[in-house]
Amino acid sequence: MKQIILVLKREYLTRVKKKSFLLATILTPLLFPAIIFGIAYIATRDSGNEDKEVVVLDESGLFGDAFQGADYNFQFTTGSLDDAKAKFQEDGAYGLIHIPEIDLEDATKTFYDDFSFFSRTNPGLQVMEDFEGSIRRALEKIKLDRSGIDPAVINSLKVRVDLDSFNLSETGEAKESNSGLSSVIGYVFGFLIYMFIFIYGSQIMQSVLDEKTSRIVEVIVSSVRPFQLMMGKVLGVGAVGFTQLLIWIVLMFTLSTVGLSILGGGEGMEMMANQMPQEVELTQAQEMAANVQNMLSTVPVVQILISFLFYFLGAYFLYGALYAAVGSAVDSLQDAQQFMFPIMIPIIAGIVALGFVLQDPHSGLAVTLSMIPFTSPIIMMARLPFGVPTWQLLLSMLFLVAGFIGTIWVAGRIYRVGILMYGAKVNYKTIAKWFTMKV
Amino acid sequence: MNILEANNVSKAYAAHRALEDVSIAIPKQSIFGLLGPNGAGKTTLIRIINQIIMSDGGEISINGEKLHPRHIEVIGYLPEERGLYKKMKVGEQLMYLAQLKGLSSGESRKRIKHWLEKLGLTEWAGKKVEDLSKGMAQKIQFIATVLHEPDLLILDEPFSGFDPVNANLIKDEIFELREKGATVIFSTHRMESVEQLCDDIALINKSKKILDGPKKEIQKSFKSNKYQVNYKGQLSHLSSGFSVLESGVLEDDLSQAVIQTQAGQNPNELLSELISKTEVHGFIEIIPSINDIFIQVVQEGQS
Repeated sequence: MKQIILVLKREYLTRVKKKSFLLATILTPLLFPAIIFGIAYIATRDSGNEDKEVVVLDESGLFGDAFQGADYNFQFTTGSLDDAKAKFQEDGAYGLIHIPEIDLEDATKTFYDDFSFFSRTNPGLQVMEDFEGSIRRALEKIKLDRSGIDPAVINSLKVRVDLDSFNLSETGEAKESNSGLSSVIGYVFGFLIYMFIFIYGSQIMQSVLDEKTSRIVEVIVSSVRPFQLMMGKVLGVGAVGFTQLLIWIVLMFTLSTVGLSILGGGEGMEMMANQMPQEVELTQAQEMAANVQNMLSTVPVVQILISFLFYFLGAYFLYGALYAAVGSAVDSLQDAQQFMFPIMIPIIAGIVALGFVLQDPHSGLAVTLSMIPFTSPIIMMARLPFGVPTWQLLLSMLFLVAGFIGTIWVAGRIYRVGILMYGAKVNYKTIAKWFTMKV
Repeated sequence: MNILEANNVSKAYAAHRALEDVSIAIPKQSIFGLLGPNGAGKTTLIRIINQIIMSDGGEISINGEKLHPRHIEVIGYLPEERGLYKKMKVGEQLMYLAQLKGLSSGESRKRIKHWLEKLGLTEWAGKKVEDLSKGMAQKIQFIATVLHEPDLLILDEPFSGFDPVNANLIKDEIFELREKGATVIFSTHRMESVEQLCDDIALINKSKKILDGPKKEIQKSFKSNKYQVNYKGQLSHLSSGFSVLESGVLEDDLSQAVIQTQAGQNPNELLSELISKTEVHGFIEIIPSINDIFIQVVQEGQS
């Protein structure tokens, strides 16, 4: 045990003291929101199309006001299509829409495809949808007018529905649930676990590989049992991940608190300056905050957080041990690729299944995958916000513990032989041989 | 008193037998040569002693006790495949390795300081290993091996990769440690490199021990009564019993010959005959080298 702690301490300290750790730990919580806001900002700026001139050649004469109020700067023109094209080439307009004569006599005709759009570059999907929508709405309106139906009748036929969902507990207490929020939380936590497996798993592998290539491993195993060395390493790197996670949680919490108080403070100041209108806004903001709080109360937050720490550690042990075994078997990162494949398959399967699970978190697929130790950390975290029966959660955790004890045992047997094999040609058969070998 | 005894130690891997019934005894405070060609099984035996791998059969005892994990602390092992953490500082690295061997941090610090001073590396303590020259890194490896003052030092191919200056420095340190009570096992396939250092040897070939004992006695038993003579004059008409095996001219009128006497004959008899016939400039008994003995034993075993 003393030896494991010594190894753990070294693994932990050499990593935590690195500048790159400090940078990643501090920058990541800042970087992610920055990237998201950055993309959102650019996206909103980009959608400004008012400057784009689109020439419309309407031969049917039906669309006089169809393009009013749209985002583009529409210019109507007359003449032949060829003239319009030539002019378009000279002018430098963004696009040219051609609307030919349309036969509206046949009231049963519902599909129109004679329209053309010309532009210098391939227009995006959004642009095409915008124009199609404008033309469709205009045609619908014309056809409605001609049919003689009162538009009020049509409007009265359109209804909106909002289905409130409740979780009915065994005691008969109904609790409002929110599947949108649950999906987001489920996705975020499932994805976080996926990310951590990758980042810290490969760190373990790298560390094992370094000891092997620097040839220090035989010196170390003359003082420490190979299993102790492997466990010290897995625990040490895990502790680094845990530290990073805690710092991120604390940082994000502080940042959001500080951010909110700055926003709140600003509002307060403005309110002092001119009383009435701001007060209305404030109550709206308050209402929104209350809504968010309400929504959060529909999700078992404490259960999710505790489970997250558990599944985080479980997944890490399960896969970390396997990464250590791969690192011990090979002499370089390139050689490691072939053995990474079977480890990645269940992780990727978990991430792919995540979408289906979020659509129906209580389906047979979801329950099964949340029991299998190789996928349960991702899938169970995704299911938890929707409410999971306690017996399922406990059983899944039990399987996960059994799972990581199993992989650590298997990995330990491969590791103890692999670390002392230099330059050996390794394939799955040799690894199987190592596994059964008496050492 | 033997510090280490191995009795009938065997080890088999899937494809081949690495050790077959090997027994050795290593006297305390001696320098022991574990000699044999590559792949003979030396490293396997050493790994078993270091408890890195387990033997299939046989017994090993250290100071009369059956091999136990606590013996890790009395052994210092310098493996053939050796290295250091490249990104770690020299001082921290030695600290880590010393603590793994059971030293307290205070004691480790004291000894690290002492050894770094002794080998002139004090100002490198705060440097990373990757900044060190190869020779300095080798010295650090040696320090790491001896920091916990092991009773038994096991050095696998210790001088491979050492430059001659460092090799001599390390040799001196090894002798000094022996004076202080340590026992040293040298394992090497380059027999000439450690021949003169060893008190006792064991020859291992193809997973079997073929010969062991005090080096001097082994050499004595393989002596074939050959003498090398440098002389001036004509070496002819030697009395019966003396046969000239080879002869040649060294320079000008100085010649050299190898003469074999019969068992039981005294070298003085040969010398007095030589003096009566030639002018003797040199006379030395040819002691067979361990390498020659090894080759002889292996060839005898094959025929």
